[in-house]
Amino acid sequence: MKKHIILLVALLTTATTLNAQGVETVDSLSRQSAEKHLFWSIGVTGGFDRNYHIVDMSYMNEYRYSKYAPGMSYGLQLSFSPLRWLSLRVEGVMLEKNYYRDHVIGGTATSLPDTTINQYVNVPAVLMLNVGNKVRLHAFGGGYWGKWLTSARRGVTYAMNGLTTYEENLDFESAESQVRDNRSDIGLVWGGGISTVIKRHLEIGVEAKWFYGLNDVQKPYMSQLNPRYNTTVVFQGGLSYWF
Amino acid sequence: MAIVASLTSCRKESEVSGIVNPNNRICKTFSQQFDAVWNGMSQGYMFWGRDTVDWDQRYEQFKPVFEAFDARPASNPVTPSEYNAAYQGLFQGLLDHHLYGKFTVPKGQYEAIVSPGMNDYYHPDSYADMERREELRVLQQRLDFVQGSYYAYDPEDYGSFTIPGMYCALLKLRQGQYIGYFRFTSFYLSNVHTYYSILPQNDAVQEPLRKFYGPRYWDGVNSEGGYASDESVVGLIIDLRGNGGGSTADLIPFIGSLSQSSTLVGYTRVKDGFGRLDYSPWSKYIVGCPNLHLRKAKPIVVLSDINSVSCAELATMLIKNLPNGTFIGERTYGAVGALWPDSEHQHDYFYSGCFGDYDYYQYGRDIYRYKDFYPYYVYTSTYHMVDCDYNDIEGVGVKPDIEVLFNWNTLRNNQKDLQLNAAVDHIRKATREQ
Repeated sequence: MKKHIILLVALLTTATTLNAQGVETVDSLSRQSAEKHLFWSIGVTGGFDRNYHIVDMSYMNEYRYSKYAPGMSYGLQLSFSPLRWLSLRVEGVMLEKNYYRDHVIGGTATSLPDTTINQYVNVPAVLMLNVGNKVRLHAFGGGYWGKWLTSARRGVTYAMNGLTTYEENLDFESAESQVRDNRSDIGLVWGGGISTVIKRHLEIGVEAKWFYGLNDVQKPYMSQLNPRYNTTVVFQGGLSYWF
Repeated sequence: MAIVASLTSCRKESEVSGIVNPNNRICKTFSQQFDAVWNGMSQGYMFWGRDTVDWDQRYEQFKPVFEAFDARPASNPVTPSEYNAAYQGLFQGLLDHHLYGKFTVPKGQYEAIVSPGMNDYYHPDSYADMERREELRVLQQRLDFVQGSYYAYDPEDYGSFTIPGMYCALLKLRQGQYIGYFRFTSFYLSNVHTYYSILPQNDAVQEPLRKFYGPRYWDGVNSEGGYASDESVVGLIIDLRGNGGGSTADLIPFIGSLSQSSTLVGYTRVKDGFGRLDYSPWSKYIVGCPNLHLRKAKPIVVLSDINSVSCAELATMLIKNLPNGTFIGERTYGAVGALWPDSEHQHDYFYSGCFGDYDYYQYGRDIYRYKDFYPYYVYTSTYHMVDCDYNDIEGVGVKPDIEVLFNWNTLRNNQKDLQLNAAVDHIRKATREQ
């Protein structure tokens, strides 16, 4: 955790320094350009994601996790662009880190499928490099902090009467959840995209970004715990207003 | 990129890759046996969500003990009492009241047997005593108000399905009105009935069942021919005191048939991962009502005590949940987490419940006389069960609607069974109010 905090502080310090340098150079850039350079933008994004839930089930090989599960995402982003080629962006993203699982009993045809829908809010802070003028390419990297907001699952399980279906919303306030579930979410984020200005002050774009979780979704409540991590790839389109 | 690459390695390595299936392990030392047992419990024990035992602390405490056993020279061998004490300490205080473990050493020289739930069994004197069960049964046959009693004792042993002491009677309530009384001493009747398809039918066993349920007793309450459906029988007493449990297959034909519709008994869940708190969601446990069931609701009293275990507790919960049902007696034992002890694949299916060496479980340590390994077997619940209000039953027992404590002196000296009398009084009062 300490390592993650140090990294985040380092990124923000670097960004602030670049920002201070950028203020001096922006006037000269603006003079060279026909249009005035705009520093700030606010935007909305929306799209879908794919979550890769990483679990080692060891000899429990009848539990089969799907390679990935889809979800929805949307967000709000704020950018500061001290230079045309450099931006600092902070974003609030609602995204789903879902997974599918199947439990095939003892080599029989009995299958107990399970779908878990996990909603998170992630707040990534990234440094973004921009190339181009009318059409711009972007590459960015940074870190994110987040919170696990809700979890719901539905599927089939064994009841005393045999197989039965269920739907359940996880209660994070329950005693077991308090011990087991790690609701904070910290990790790395990186990605790239393409955008274009469609009208003065208005820019549209698409991008892909990877949220690479660095913390286990479980608290370390027992020895020999098998960690579970999320890696989520988000594909989004967005609209930004520059001012 | 270098920073990203170094940070992505911050994910912890899984510690479970080295964990193996605790079924049928070949252990060559005391500490290997300990590790297999400790891991099997860590992965598959159902009650970590409620248990107050710190299992990691137990590892720290007892791993050195078993390592010291391995280090002992041949001139100073581990004694049976030391071995037993180590396993008693490891399992002490665990909640599962079905839990039973047995462990042995090469050549089966000695073994340790643990059953931590039985510590609860040493209950206050006022509660019924298992040792007195047989005497209680004999005394009950002398009760004055029992009329037309039918007693069955099964002299043959159908595998483990012996049912001594099953007992059916009519109790006179008032002129022209009776109470139907049935005592189940275990719940293996469906299994026994299945055996009749290949073995000769046994009138001694079937007679009380026919008297109470009718000629097709295995399908439920027949509309004609049994006490339960007779017009003159205005109330029923189901006596489950001392019933050590059995198969849940009996619940629908013999208990569910006393209701008029399916009954919610409680909720269950199973494990669904390595983590001690990896559980499935709760599922309803409903006991169905067969086609042959009691058409008209009558007051039903279930008598249970601290010797009512497992399936007997489920039957108690079922009757207690009926609108016309009342539970009179003492709290039950508190072992309601169902399991399948005979299925070798249980741990492979559920990754919980019983695990270990099934040959050792079934045939005992004698077969290991010439082997050089350390077998073990742990018999533990596959399901965690709670009542309809999500209250835990395990280790707590089902609480009676009307508590009447067992009184041995009154029964022996005055031939009065106070719990049975309370049941009769309750039905007398309930039928008078009608």
